[in-house]
Amino acid sequence: MKMTRSLSKFVKELQTIVGEENATDDKAICASYSRDQHWHFVPAKNPAYIVRPGNKEEVRRVLTFANNEKIPVIPYSTGINVRGLTIPVHERSILLDLSRMNRIVEINPEMMTATVEPGVTFGMLLEKTKKYKLRPAFPDAPLTASVLANYYLRGIYQTSAVDGHDHTLSYEMVLPNGETIKTGSRSLSEMPYFRYGVGPDFTGVFCAHPGTCGVVTELTAKLYRLYDNRKEYFVGFDDAGTPRKIIYNLMHDELAASIRLVDNQSWLKGICGTFDYPYEKLPKFVLCVLVEGVDGIFEAKDKLVQEYIKESGGTVLEFPEEFKRTFEEESLGGAEKSCMVFGLRGNYHCIGLYGPLTLAAQYYEVHEKTALEVGIPQDHIHFYINPIYSFHGQLCYFELDIFYDGGDLGFGEKLRNYNEKQFQRLLDLGIYGWFRPYAGIIGPTADRIGYLAEVWKKFLRVLDPNEIMNRGKLF
Amino acid sequence: MEQERKEEILSAIHHCVKCKLCSISSFHPNAEWLPLCPSGQFYGYQAFYAPGRMEIFREILDGEITEPSEGLLKSAYACTLCGACYERCKQITSMELRLPELFEEMRAELVKKGWALDVHKNIADKIKETRNAYGEKYEYKAKSTDGNADVLYYIGCTARYRVPEIADAMLQIFDKLGIKYQVMDEEWCCGSVLLRTGQVEAAKELMEHNIEEIKMSGAKTVVFTCPGCLMTFERNYPDMGVELLHSTQLLTRLGSMKVKKLGLEVAYHDPCHLGRDLGIYDEPRAVLSTVADIKKMKREREEAWCCGSGGGVKSAYDEFALWSAEERLKEAKEAGAAALVSACPFCKRNLKEAADKEGKGTEVYDIVELVNRSLEG
Ligand SMILES: Cc1cc2nc3c(=O)[nH]c(=O)nc-3n(C[C@H](O)[C@H](O)[C@H](O)COP(=O)(O)OP(=O)(O)OC[C@H]3O[C@@H](n4cnc5c(N)ncnc54)[C@H](O)[C@@H]3O)c2cc1C
Ligand code: SF4
Ligand code: SF4
Repeated sequence: MKMTRSLSKFVKELQTIVGEENATDDKAICASYSRDQHWHFVPAKNPAYIVRPGNKEEVRRVLTFANNEKIPVIPYSTGINVRGLTIPVHERSILLDLSRMNRIVEINPEMMTATVEPGVTFGMLLEKTKKYKLRPAFPDAPLTASVLANYYLRGIYQTSAVDGHDHTLSYEMVLPNGETIKTGSRSLSEMPYFRYGVGPDFTGVFCAHPGTCGVVTELTAKLYRLYDNRKEYFVGFDDAGTPRKIIYNLMHDELAASIRLVDNQSWLKGICGTFDYPYEKLPKFVLCVLVEGVDGIFEAKDKLVQEYIKESGGTVLEFPEEFKRTFEEESLGGAEKSCMVFGLRGNYHCIGLYGPLTLAAQYYEVHEKTALEVGIPQDHIHFYINPIYSFHGQLCYFELDIFYDGGDLGFGEKLRNYNEKQFQRLLDLGIYGWFRPYAGIIGPTADRIGYLAEVWKKFLRVLDPNEIMNRGKLF
Repeated sequence: MEQERKEEILSAIHHCVKCKLCSISSFHPNAEWLPLCPSGQFYGYQAFYAPGRMEIFREILDGEITEPSEGLLKSAYACTLCGACYERCKQITSMELRLPELFEEMRAELVKKGWALDVHKNIADKIKETRNAYGEKYEYKAKSTDGNADVLYYIGCTARYRVPEIADAMLQIFDKLGIKYQVMDEEWCCGSVLLRTGQVEAAKELMEHNIEEIKMSGAKTVVFTCPGCLMTFERNYPDMGVELLHSTQLLTRLGSMKVKKLGLEVAYHDPCHLGRDLGIYDEPRAVLSTVADIKKMKREREEAWCCGSGGGVKSAYDEFALWSAEERLKEAKEAGAAALVSACPFCKRNLKEAADKEGKGTEVYDIVELVNRSLEG
């Protein structure tokens, strides 16, 4: 079959920048980027062009071209987000697939940092850092996800209990007008290792924007030590309130690398790495604790952890050795099994939020109540808590999960109803913030943040006056 | 496509969460980043990875893609149907349809719309004319040693016309072991290449002929050196009441043969149809280990890297096929092997071509060649 097709003027221009092989408007190729796991909320839509730049200069030229022509641009590093963040809102969008830019620019074991391009995944990075006995902080996102995009968006990490949730030190970002800005110490020197370079925390100001400011082409992040001494504990509880005390104690005394309170039917399966175990016979909630450290300190921490477990009111669960190993690998070696949660029913929906540990039981209560009200069956309702270092404000990440059959089109309606009620209820109950901004959640929240919403919009307009950068994913 | 089937397929596609774990081999416990999907790794766009290809299929089924395009055909046909993605995915999610079969059905949909690749249509024409996939007009010379033998050797097009050393070796092994065998007077292509490229209708006549011939032969066991043929007989042919065996299964069953080690350090390449499709991993290793020392490669068994030639790729996208084979040769070399051994004529042909192109001296064999060489006559 002969394919004759005339290329549009735009594709020709884009091909002159990135090479013929790396820009296309082929409908089928574009279709392959049309949907992610969040399609019940963000319906499928094809980008008009896919462009795969190979270096910063090409990124700069593509952005300048798009800005002049007022073509919307969607940055895309690995596309593993779960919020429809790279699905076009507008016609004629360029999807800027940055996965070819996958150089690890530097691993600096002395500074304990790594500098990476957008296409570097967590797996690729650990492969190189492990020889220095260093690791990145791993999210539960599969280790095929981009380190740069994940840190830039700011996420939640398996080792939040010891590493916190800010791993970004500095980065380089190309703006729509073709200018490049460097944040932190990067703006002043060749040393990109300090977050606060000049004046305000610019690194933070641009962070957690779903591609709505510019394109980050290089980012320097913190690395953390990999210790030889490790130990795991699994403690069962019948309710979400009782484990509060031990979580508080462990966090307050900075004893554990990873602390996760999960229910026995969802994330625990990924943590243990198998569906095949009588999880239903376990207590409803399981606290998973990982202790690590250098000789001496490790033993001291472990002793205290054991004492706190004894007085926690929970039951120590004896799991097979391979479950412990999987928990360790998932926490300190990157998430490979976490995606098993999708295998529970075929898809998952969650509201992720930051709040104080003191409200743990209420968050769970309101989650259950709203879900049941909108007709979501009890056995689809799940929950987990991940406390975050440092523990000021008893900061925790809470995830209100619903696992459902992605093929059940009617379920989408229930989830939308759930969201509508739940956002308001959570805001009424009091939260510190949402996990990450995305259109669905910013809408109902904007009214509550007063003039800040106006300032935020103006800030984006200054950076991107032609509104080409992934508009519609925030406001 | 029937509505029920369409819904089943769409439901499977909806269950893909785009985690892309199917593009790499198991990461833990060695923490090594090892790509697994040849087509994605070579072409780069999401359209060439399983999750992206599924979205294209969804748009075809939903009627959103109404015209063929170069990208559509390339995405659909530049996939070796190696099944590595499925092996990984099933460990993770509840993907209920085998991905290679899903992609085969995608191709069948394209063919129905008249969007087959010319090169694949040419193969169908050649088969129609000559009953073999290479359009060869001569006969591979082989004679039954006993027209009533229980064992029938189904040679397959590739071993007859492109890598006859495999068929020769198998026939000599039968002779050396004193096994009486039949070969078909008129062996027609098994239809694999047509089925894999979506040309389902064209395969029917071939299948009917072969079934008839095998029934008439009275053989109790049909032996294959080609896993593609074997898989097609297992999956697409009706049960003929005969046993279907791969050469390495037969040799394992025979137990100790009078073989000596050849002093070769080799790596074993799992053919996709033999390993992932039929679950035959141990027998080839058992046989090979009697004649050579096996060096372990990083990606093996369920997570083996494909040689690059399957699914109609060799005929349509040879550059990609050879690149895939080169990657495998590199891996064998890294493992310290002087030779790469497979158990499939298709793999041998592509790997050998890549090795010759590279010219760096990695030898490529089929297991039966080494067994034949070391068997005392
Ligand atoms: C099972 C599962 C569990 C998860 N758990 C976690 C978790 O525990 N913690 C966590 O943090 N996340 C989690 N995630 C969410 C998500 O996958 C990750 O945050 C992921 O890193 C974001 O996707 P990505 O890196 O592929 O970026 P993309 O999907 O490529 O992009 C995401 C957003 O960032 C923008 N963007 C991408 N690259 C750039 C760039 N170079 N410059 C500017 N903007 C850019 C895009 O426009 C888009 O808006 C999970 C996902 C899954 C599937
Ligand atoms: S592993 Fe399965 S669910 Fe994940 S992207 Fe691949 S096909 Fe989809
Ligand atoms: S069958 Fe093989 S080549 Fe095709 S998508 Fe799956 S892993 Fe890639």
